[in-house]
Amino acid sequence: MEPAAAPSAASVNGAGPAIRADDLVKVFGAIRAIDDVSLELPSGRIYGFLGPNGSGKTTLIRLLTGLARPTSGRAEVLGVPLPSREVLARIGYMTQSDGIYPTLTVGENARFFAAAYGVRGKEAIREALELVDLADRLDSIAGTLSGGQRRRLSLACAIVHRPPLLFLDEPTVGIDPLLRVEFWAHFRELADAGATIVVSSHVMDEADRCDELLFIRSGKVIARGSGREVRAQAGTDDLEQAFLRLGGDVGATR
Amino acid sequence: MSGRRTVAIFRRVVQEIRRDRRSVALLFVVPIVMTGLVTFIVREGQAPEVDAVVVNDAGPVGIVVTNALDTALATEGGSATIVADTAAAEAMIGDGTATVAITLPAGLGGGDSPTITILTDGLDPAGEANQVAAVGRALVTAAAGATGANPPTIEHTTLYGVPSDDPMAPFAPAILGFLAYFFVYILTGISFLRERTGGTLERLMATPVARGEVVAGYTLGFGLFATIQVALLLAWGLGTVEVPEIGPLPAFSLGLGLPIAGSPLLAFLVVVVAALGAVSLGIFLSTFARTELQVVQFIPIVIVPQFLLSGVLFPVSSLPDVLQPFVLIMPLTYAVDGLRQVIVAGADLATPALQLDLVVLAGVAILFAAVAALTIRRDVA
Repeated sequence: MEPAAAPSAASVNGAGPAIRADDLVKVFGAIRAIDDVSLELPSGRIYGFLGPNGSGKTTLIRLLTGLARPTSGRAEVLGVPLPSREVLARIGYMTQSDGIYPTLTVGENARFFAAAYGVRGKEAIREALELVDLADRLDSIAGTLSGGQRRRLSLACAIVHRPPLLFLDEPTVGIDPLLRVEFWAHFRELADAGATIVVSSHVMDEADRCDELLFIRSGKVIARGSGREVRAQAGTDDLEQAFLRLGGDVGATR
Repeated sequence: MSGRRTVAIFRRVVQEIRRDRRSVALLFVVPIVMTGLVTFIVREGQAPEVDAVVVNDAGPVGIVVTNALDTALATEGGSATIVADTAAAEAMIGDGTATVAITLPAGLGGGDSPTITILTDGLDPAGEANQVAAVGRALVTAAAGATGANPPTIEHTTLYGVPSDDPMAPFAPAILGFLAYFFVYILTGISFLRERTGGTLERLMATPVARGEVVAGYTLGFGLFATIQVALLLAWGLGTVEVPEIGPLPAFSLGLGLPIAGSPLLAFLVVVVAALGAVSLGIFLSTFARTELQVVQFIPIVIVPQFLLSGVLFPVSSLPDVLQPFVLIMPLTYAVDGLRQVIVAGADLATPALQLDLVVLAGVAILFAAVAALTIRRDVA
């Protein structure tokens, strides 16, 4: 990362939060997928959205990128009210599925997303591919890559425009422990350079790598704080136990 | 071979198909609707409405025959009127105010079997054959009643080209238009569906790319391939290349060499504009599909009716009145008519009928592109 890229966005928005949500509600039919979520996430940190499958993590991310419209409430990211097509140029979004074109090569995929984000020049593409260790696979067809390599290409495509805000939806699902360690090293590197990162996961042992955790259950944020704080709040050393205890009342009302 | 496992698989297949409402509709509803439609077209296909102009060289007998003809044609909403000369009749055929022009010869009413010529424009050979047959029957009765002479012989000529010069000529415009439209629709539909289901559209929507840019990019991309396809198809259909004798190979000619009266470039333009409409149609319909099979399932619903109602298979003029409004809303109708105007009638850009076809096709392409753009952000999950 060039140090100039991320902080420039941060300085434009002053000390304001990277993400701000007021009373977000998203209803699908009879289901309240997101149930009155209000948030303020300061920039430059790694946030973990933790919760079981179907708890609303992906929907919350889609609301915070403007990809989904809230039923009520409002959100703003990097100081810009959503939805905004312009702010998307400063957001990276690595989806749960790889979301890359399997018939294109590694280089063609990266070039395509760079162009979609309005990035000019080869430098950014080379850097992104180097960061995920795919610079030497430029001409490989993406569909022939291993699952882990596809995941890495997917990450490269999400950071090719050096976004100051990065959403990673279950980035480490289905990848081996070694790659997982590498991924977290990348995330930390990006955060140190000033980026705000939101990682969703249902794997509790990843939680301690985040600066701050948000427990999500049935579309609500049921607890928030560092790993130590939520453990203390729940009175247990085990995060999984903490999640169950803190979410107990929400689960009971379902 | 285990009976229980076979039964398990049988049950699963039945369950799967039952849950898939499109497949159920395709199996049970669509064939009934289709056979009904075809039967309706063929059975209720109306006696064509014929507006005849008569060049009367037969004197008073001709006037009697014309009046009898007028009465006969009026039962289907048509008419027969006398005009001054052949030039006036041809002009009226050319601008579409009359469907057939009849020349009654001087010898009508004499002892010999007279020859009556019927002129049509030649754009819609199958439809005109029906009209000529209808007029012929009416004429024979009218002439026999008026003169008591031997029944006349009917001779059919067309304004543009000889009717049966090349047996493929009547079908060529329709087939060219249909094929281009069909393949572009299938390809765009499936590849855009991949974009939707492969997660790349979600990803793309998370970039500053606008929906209009997506549709425009697709239109350009598939438009390029459609253009090449159409160019090849037209070159193959209309061209003939004489390949000289090479070594042991005898000389032969390549290409179907179908006759074309107008400019091949204009024919090309008509098909390309139609194909661009098919690109947006493919994007639009991919919204309603979850799998590639479902894109294919739209063929009987979207493509077959166009095939039946746009004059590819049945002449538009012979379709029942109830179906005429549907004929007018099928984009392919205008592609087929535009191609006939160019290939058979030699129309140029100044021809009002061709102008209308091109304007409608371009309008349809733009309309569907706008609708396709609207479908993109919705339901991307």
